[in-house]
Amino acid sequence: MFQPLDPLLHSELRLAVMSLLISAEEAEFPFIKEQTGATAGNLSVQLDKLSEAGYIAVEKTFKGKRPCTICRITPTGLKAFEDYVEALKSYLHTGK
Amino acid sequence: MEEKENLTAERSLEIIRESIEQSRRAMTKQSGRPMIWWGSLVVVFAVLIAYLWKNHGGPVWNVLWFVMTLVGIVGNNMMDKRRQPVPRNIIGSVIGKVWASFGIFCCGLGFIVCLAGFGVLSFQSLAPASGNFIPITSIITFALGMASTTTGLILKNRVISICSVIAGISGFFVALRYPGGEQLLVMAAVAVVGLVIPGIIVNIQTRE
Repeated sequence: MFQPLDPLLHSELRLAVMSLLISAEEAEFPFIKEQTGATAGNLSVQLDKLSEAGYIAVEKTFKGKRPCTICRITPTGLKAFEDYVEALKSYLHTGK
Repeated sequence: MEEKENLTAERSLEIIRESIEQSRRAMTKQSGRPMIWWGSLVVVFAVLIAYLWKNHGGPVWNVLWFVMTLVGIVGNNMMDKRRQPVPRNIIGSVIGKVWASFGIFCCGLGFIVCLAGFGVLSFQSLAPASGNFIPITSIITFALGMASTTTGLILKNRVISICSVIAGISGFFVALRYPGGEQLLVMAAVAVVGLVIPGIIVNIQTRE
């Protein structure tokens, strides 16, 4: 029996962002942009979607005089990611 | 990376694995430069202090190690500001604490030995059973080897670990053989093997 996959996480870029944040306490916007290879505009849109769902917290601050956007995964996001991985397992087991 | 939503389970797992691996690789990449910086500083100061010790007034010049620490911290902070952002994670935090512990122990030990060197404390009271000799270079070399090996193990980098074990253990015994100013040259060699060479190798390995 297939478990439903969270549509918010079942997207290449949003899943990559969540996977980067899962192993970090926090990450800055340029780091996520560089690692995912996404454009700034597209990444901003996807971060907003994750933030609106409560999966990540986005903090806009300053590093010296430069603006700096810091992203962190929230407990809700962590739980959603765990559930997503669990759901993925059902697809893999069936595929064997 | 585009906004694809028709992923297979395999592709999803691949994205998760790649992203976590990228994050770890970014951490390793950033560890090379501080190793080269601190290793080079130790080499320069060790050679300088060894020269001054031999030609201009003896071991009192060891106070320059405290100057090196200050120069190192200032330089490190400047590098931190210029480098590309790295995610703050448990790996970076643990490595930072390992080196902070190393710094605290070495500065504490060095400070007490300096007090004895300036006559504020007596060597007899500090080390009565060892003939007034405290093998500080051996101890610091050993501690440096341990801190560097731990860093290599946390980063799962064999080069750092192997170089650090060799530097720490061999440096400990070789420094014991040279109680005079020459021990600082041993310290310089340990810094090259335990910090500079692994730092350069890490930089080469992680270059894209």
